[in-house]
Amino acid sequence: MINVSDLGIKFRMEKRRRSRALDFFGEKFGNRQRPSGEFWALRHVSFTVERGETIGIIGRNGSGKSTLLRVIAGVYPPDEGQVSVEGEVSTLFGLGTGFNQELSGRDNIYLNGIIIGLAKNQIDGIIDSIIEFTELSDFIEMPVRTYSTGMRARLGFAIAIHSDKDIVLIDEIMNAGDAAFRQKADAEMDRIMGERTVLLVSHAMSTIEKFASKVIWLDRGVIAAMGEPGEVIEQYLAASKVKKRPPDEY
Amino acid sequence: MIEQLKKVWQRRELLWYMVKLQMKAEKKNKVLGFAWSFLDPLLLLIVYVVLIGYIFGRGGPQFPILLFIALLSWRWFTSSLSRSVTSITSKVGLIQSVRFPLAILPLSGIIIGFFDWLFGFVILVPMLFIFEASFTVNILWLPVLLLIEFVDIVGACLIFAVVGTYLADLSNIVQFLIRLGFYLSPILYSVKDVITSERLTMLYMLSNPFAGLLESYKNVVILGAPPTGYALVGAAVACVVFVIGLWYFSRNEHKLVKAI
Repeated sequence: MINVSDLGIKFRMEKRRRSRALDFFGEKFGNRQRPSGEFWALRHVSFTVERGETIGIIGRNGSGKSTLLRVIAGVYPPDEGQVSVEGEVSTLFGLGTGFNQELSGRDNIYLNGIIIGLAKNQIDGIIDSIIEFTELSDFIEMPVRTYSTGMRARLGFAIAIHSDKDIVLIDEIMNAGDAAFRQKADAEMDRIMGERTVLLVSHAMSTIEKFASKVIWLDRGVIAAMGEPGEVIEQYLAASKVKKRPPDEY
Repeated sequence: MIEQLKKVWQRRELLWYMVKLQMKAEKKNKVLGFAWSFLDPLLLLIVYVVLIGYIFGRGGPQFPILLFIALLSWRWFTSSLSRSVTSITSKVGLIQSVRFPLAILPLSGIIIGFFDWLFGFVILVPMLFIFEASFTVNILWLPVLLLIEFVDIVGACLIFAVVGTYLADLSNIVQFLIRLGFYLSPILYSVKDVITSERLTMLYMLSNPFAGLLESYKNVVILGAPPTGYALVGAAVACVVFVIGLWYFSRNEHKLVKAI
């Protein structure tokens, strides 16, 4: 249902946007001092995801996990390779970056619902269960800027999980909440597992181990390992360990 | 390019929500809230009426309403333009979370600007009676003029939205151009008060596509006259700018996501 083959996503590295503006106005004018810094946020990434699978994506900060989710969401077109996604994607609202800070939680539910392609009456149908899930009660009428990180995470997770889209992308929002939220989030994950396809980015290995049927370990934009959750996580943890100097050097 | 229009049309519900919620967000924290939609243009008008009418002693009896209709229409253009420059960069979080036609961002600013025009017009209507504007069938031209202006604004804003994403300096440049354009366009004055020679008038009207449009607004709403022929200049420019803007935006849309 998701088929990624030899995917590459390229960014330019520049200190400011000015140089980009120059070469944007015409290769002729700007190109002379074009900064050479191009980097591949993802390269030679290939994998497939079957319907109903839950894929865990792990890796260090900046390894390309979020970029990969954005590609699946259709935000970045691939610079290399192909990506085919069958089915509708529920967006990732990692920690509420897509929220309008001035608007209330309720308005943001509508806005985000419409953005991912729900009709207004569909949102009318699910808004009560979203609000109930978030436990925001009266806060739902307050501007999102007044929310704590946990509250935003709850709101983002609730919207992603309640929209009946085939593919759910979750970027590190499950671990932001408190214990009670985590329990509820886990229960929701259990509920949708098998039914929907989930791509889950997380630094919490316990979460990954609990839900993922397959794990992709990204390292500087390439797949370092992929497969059985237990094995891949072990390799990843072993590689991330800070190397200690052997005692005889002291 | 047609594709682009289709994409936006398919997501018109999203566009409408963006407009609605953005307007709500803008007014929400203010004590007077919604009233500012009416107060803003009114206060602006008072400043200019005092300045030109009383301090400089010019303008004639219908000056306030002549100024007002031109001011409203000019403001629609300028507010849309300055919004469009940052329309992409101010929505980074959203753009990186979900795919949607980015043209919706500058477009929502234009529609908000049009609502401001409408609120201003509501204030203008009673003033038309007070200052004895002449109503004729020519008022029917008003929607046509608004359409021309809309097409013009859309084209310009699509271009500025792309360039503004790459070139942050554009917002300063735009502020300057808007100020300059304000004095170069017949807003505080009418062309016939300033230029007497026919040849110069023609030159002026041909070089400023907004001039014919603004004069026509005054004609149809206040003077009961038909639009000037120079409105056609505005219409022609509008079509060209629209096509260029649409083409340019469509060509660059996919690059914008990575530029922010």
